[in-house]
Amino acid sequence: MEEKVMLVHGGGGKQTSELIHEVFAKRFRNLYLTEDDAAILPPPASNIAFTTDGFIVSPWKFPGGNIGKLSICGTVNDISCMGARPKYLSCAFVIEEGFPVKSLEEIADAMALTAREAGVSIVAGDTKVAGHGQVDGVFITTTGIGERLPGAHPSGKSARPGDAVIVSGDVGRHGCTILLARGEYGIDAEVTSDCAPLWGMASSVFDVCRDVHVLRDATRGGVGTVLHEIAGQSGVGIRLDASAVPVDPAVAGVCGMLGLEPLYLACEGRLVIFVPKEDAEAVVAELKKSPYGENAAVIGEVTPDEPGRVVMTTELGTQTVLPPPGGELLPRIC
Amino acid sequence: MTEEGKQAVAKARAILENYKGKKLRIMEVCGTHTHAIFKAGLRQLMPENVELISGPGCPVCVTPADFIDEAVWLATEKNAVITTFGDLVRVPGSEMSLAGARSEGADIVPVYTPIDAVEYAKTHPDREVVFLSVGFETTTPSACLAVQRAEKAGLKNFSILTANKTMDEAYRALKDSVDAYIYPGHVCAIVGTRLTEELTGEGISGVVAGFTPSELVTAAATLVELCSKSDEPFFRNCYPRVVTRDGSTAAKKLVEKYMEPADAVWRGLGIIPKSGMVLRDEYAAFDARKKFSVPSFKAKNPPGCRCGEILQGKCKPTDCPLFGKTCTPEHPVGACMVSQEGTCAAYYQYGGVV
Repeated sequence: MEEKVMLVHGGGGKQTSELIHEVFAKRFRNLYLTEDDAAILPPPASNIAFTTDGFIVSPWKFPGGNIGKLSICGTVNDISCMGARPKYLSCAFVIEEGFPVKSLEEIADAMALTAREAGVSIVAGDTKVAGHGQVDGVFITTTGIGERLPGAHPSGKSARPGDAVIVSGDVGRHGCTILLARGEYGIDAEVTSDCAPLWGMASSVFDVCRDVHVLRDATRGGVGTVLHEIAGQSGVGIRLDASAVPVDPAVAGVCGMLGLEPLYLACEGRLVIFVPKEDAEAVVAELKKSPYGENAAVIGEVTPDEPGRVVMTTELGTQTVLPPPGGELLPRIC
Repeated sequence: MTEEGKQAVAKARAILENYKGKKLRIMEVCGTHTHAIFKAGLRQLMPENVELISGPGCPVCVTPADFIDEAVWLATEKNAVITTFGDLVRVPGSEMSLAGARSEGADIVPVYTPIDAVEYAKTHPDREVVFLSVGFETTTPSACLAVQRAEKAGLKNFSILTANKTMDEAYRALKDSVDAYIYPGHVCAIVGTRLTEELTGEGISGVVAGFTPSELVTAAATLVELCSKSDEPFFRNCYPRVVTRDGSTAAKKLVEKYMEPADAVWRGLGIIPKSGMVLRDEYAAFDARKKFSVPSFKAKNPPGCRCGEILQGKCKPTDCPLFGKTCTPEHPVGACMVSQEGTCAAYYQYGGVV
């Protein structure tokens, strides 16, 4: 096997099948992944959740993960947030000519490991090679199918006054990690991405609460953007307690220096959950059992007044609004 | 917040709640303060007869439209690559913004620091690279550092277009519109507190404040308490964990070596003598204005826009007929709406709750 991916690896011939077999197939191996043109899957036990997502993060590797892990987590988490158990994934790669095969193997390793943890099978795939400079390193698109839990019906439209607003961990870590990994600000800090597959945690929420109103994974625009979206979609107000929002001290430090709001930095392993107030304690306790949920906390509540707005109680006890998300979010974050 | 912090906040709140003295106008002159004050909801704690107003604290906002015209001219007439902090790209000039020039083919490259601009010049030896040097005492040292780097590397294709400003003359220029200043913590960290201490001799009062909610409320309470005690001008450093009497000697020396004071135009305030910083004559090779013989521009401000009065604390953004209607962060008319640090942008973002 060559050390670098070449155009010929995308040509469909012998080298293509060698790359697919040596790098991907032998790592992803499962019952449904065959050499035929499509995977044949058993019929679902319930309604299916079906989604797709593209990943172009730069740099492709960062503290806490790489684009491979991210590409599994992103789609698994979107399915999980519909109350569906992720079952099958496909993945399509566009690889830049000259990309090291070793790096591709590192990416595939992370994908296999994360898929195993999430309980999904990678059942189909595609590999294309683009000329040098036509893509940056490697781009991955994953598509996934999940089976919905009976009775689960979370939706961004379902927040109700009286709901508790919960986050499953400290906010803004992925965005902060990528920002530092690019080295453009010359700041050094110990921050690791929160990138993680969340089905285990999401399913445990349904175990202890029969009426989960909203379940979202905060990605590009961070938790703040999710809250604004839900306030708008559900036509309710959201009141946050600023001092209850969990933020890693290093992330808070970087944000302080650069004038950023941690609530608007990307997450890749955080759930935002709206449940009836009386279930909140049980949900937080359950989240804390997960390796990704030790900092889970109730950060606010849903109110009938000021629909569409997110208001914060500050540490001085005064009120301020969480300004709506701005247009200039960091590009190529996931 | 720590127990100590909570006690300090409670004490400060009590002082503010019990204030029954004369009417006061307090001005903050730092864009980061403007935002932090909204974020902390500080206005809700201010007594009825104490008004918090925002002054000329955002470097982008005080930069006149003429400067944008100069930059556009360099990009279009001299084919220079303009490197700039991102905030300046959308500020309207009299004909067009830098974003407008870019859409017509000009090379406008946003950078995070002036050093990035030097690096850009190194890797593009066939192009003239101009850095738009705006900012107060906090940013000026890094512009000087960039010139020093360019000088050491023997770069012939790098220069800066200065619009650097110092705050001291602005304090003097606005002293009749305010009772006391909340002095900018970051600027004071660089220049130290000697100057602001001396300003009491000219009848100018103020306190240096930090940026956390508890630091802000403590500074505001200290200020209100001192105002109510006597009519004597006063100075207090309420940000001692960062601000010292001497400031940063290294930064001051660096600026002193490369730059000297000059008259400067402030948007809304006009010319304030000796309130700007320009490169000394011996570094003329790095001064874009001299290098390219940039003609002088006399830009008109957009009709209806009240940025000038807002920067002097004479009116609030909500008093401007354009605010929130034709002037929004997506389509700014005035500079105060462009920069995130601008007073109008802050009012717009936090709209409704003050």
